[in-house]
Amino acid sequence: MKELKPDDASLIARIAQAQAEALNRLYDRYNRLVYSVALAIVGDRAVAEEVTLDVFVQVWQRAGTYRPEQAQVRTWLIAITRHHAIDILRMQKSRPEANAVIWNEDSVPDGQSAHGLEEGVQLSIQRERVRQMVAELPAEQREALVLAYFRGYTQSQIAEVLKQPLGTIKTRIRLAMQKLRKLLEED
Amino acid sequence: MTDETHVLELLPAYALDSLDEVETRLVAEHLTGCYLCRTELRAYQEVTGQLALIAPEALPAPELGSRLQAKIQSLGSTRSRSTRQPLFRTFRPVGALIGLMLIIGLLASNILLWQRLNHLEVLTGPLGMRAIVLANTESSPQASGFVIVSSDGEDGVLVVDELPPLDADREYQLWLVRGDQNTSVAVFSVDESGYRGLRIEAPESLSTYSAVRVTVEPVGGSPEPMGEEVLHGSLFNP
Repeated sequence: MKELKPDDASLIARIAQAQAEALNRLYDRYNRLVYSVALAIVGDRAVAEEVTLDVFVQVWQRAGTYRPEQAQVRTWLIAITRHHAIDILRMQKSRPEANAVIWNEDSVPDGQSAHGLEEGVQLSIQRERVRQMVAELPAEQREALVLAYFRGYTQSQIAEVLKQPLGTIKTRIRLAMQKLRKLLEED
Repeated sequence: MTDETHVLELLPAYALDSLDEVETRLVAEHLTGCYLCRTELRAYQEVTGQLALIAPEALPAPELGSRLQAKIQSLGSTRSRSTRQPLFRTFRPVGALIGLMLIIGLLASNILLWQRLNHLEVLTGPLGMRAIVLANTESSPQASGFVIVSSDGEDGVLVVDELPPLDADREYQLWLVRGDQNTSVAVFSVDESGYRGLRIEAPESLSTYSAVRVTVEPVGGSPEPMGEEVLHGSLFNP
C-alpha cells in the first residue's frame, strides 16, 4: 500500500515532538529550495551550505513555535533562510556583486528524483508560475525587488546603488509587491 | 508615507526587510496593536515566501543531510519545545545533576519561594546559582517569573507564569540588556496557564549583562524592543 505523504504542517508537528525522521523528510522536501535561496543571497556554496544546515537546526529547535495560521511552512522556512543569510552578509560587510543578475540566470531543474517525482513536478510548476508573475513586472520594479530580496538592501541602499531618488525606489517596491500579491491571490 | 492610523504603505517593504531602521521601528510598534496591519503583513509575507522560487536552482552537497543528522544527534534533548517540559531537560548544559537538584529545590521550596518573591529580588540557590525575581508591570499585573543563572554565568533559565496567552500575531520576546543595547535571546509563547520555561542561549556570559526584559512583540520578534514590557529584572549581583 502506498504511504500517504504527510503535509508540511504535520511534519513540523512531529518535529516538535522530537521525531528526527520527520526532520529528514522536511529536509528532503526543502533542502534544495533553502540552499538555492541561501546561495542566491550569500553567493558562496560553502557558506550557503552552512546557512542551510543552520536553518534546519533552527527548525528542529523551534518547531514548537511554528503556527500554521501564521504562514505556510515553506514561507516560514524561507523567512528563516533569508534572515540568516542576510545577517551573514551584513556581518561580513560584503555582498556578492550588487548587480549580479539573479533574474536572468537559467536554472537547471535537474535531479528531480531527489524530491520525488511528484513533488519535483509540483515545485517546478509553482516555480514557473512565480517566474511568470515576476516577469510581468516592469523591469525597474523587478530590479529593485531582487536587490531587496536577494541582497538584503534597504530601500535607501537600493536608491544609492541604482542612483535613483529614494521615493522612486519606495514606489517601485511597493507597486511590485502589490502586483505580485494580486497575481498570487488570483492564481 | 503612512496612513494616519495605519502603516499599510510600508508593509510591502517591511515584509522584505528593506525599510530603514526608523521605519522598521515604527511599523513594528504599530503591528503590536493593529490586527488589520498584521493581517495585511501576512499577505505580503506569503509573497516573499513565493519569491524564493525565482532563485536559480542549486543542489547542496549530498553529505549535507548526513551532517544535519549528526548535528541533531549532538543536540540531543537540549532542543526547545513549545510544550511544558521538565526544567532539568532545558537546563542540561550545566549537567543533569545540577538540573535535577534545581528542579527538586524549586519544587520543594515552591510555596516559600513565591511567598518571598515579593520581598527579595535575588535568591541564592544550590552551587551558587542565583534566582533573579522578575518584576511585573501594569500591563501584566498577575505575571511572575524568574531567571536562574549558573554560578559561572554561562547558563540560564527563564521561567514565567501567568503571562497572558497572546493572539496568533504576537509573541513574547526575551532581551538581555547591556547599557542601552538590547540583545534578543528568545521569542516564545506560553501555555494556557501562562507558563513557560526555557533555556537562555545568550551570545555571551550572562554575568556581562545588567538586566533582563520580556516584551510583547509581533510574531517572530522585533530587532529592538517595541512593545509593552511585561517583566523585567536586574542581573547585577546584590
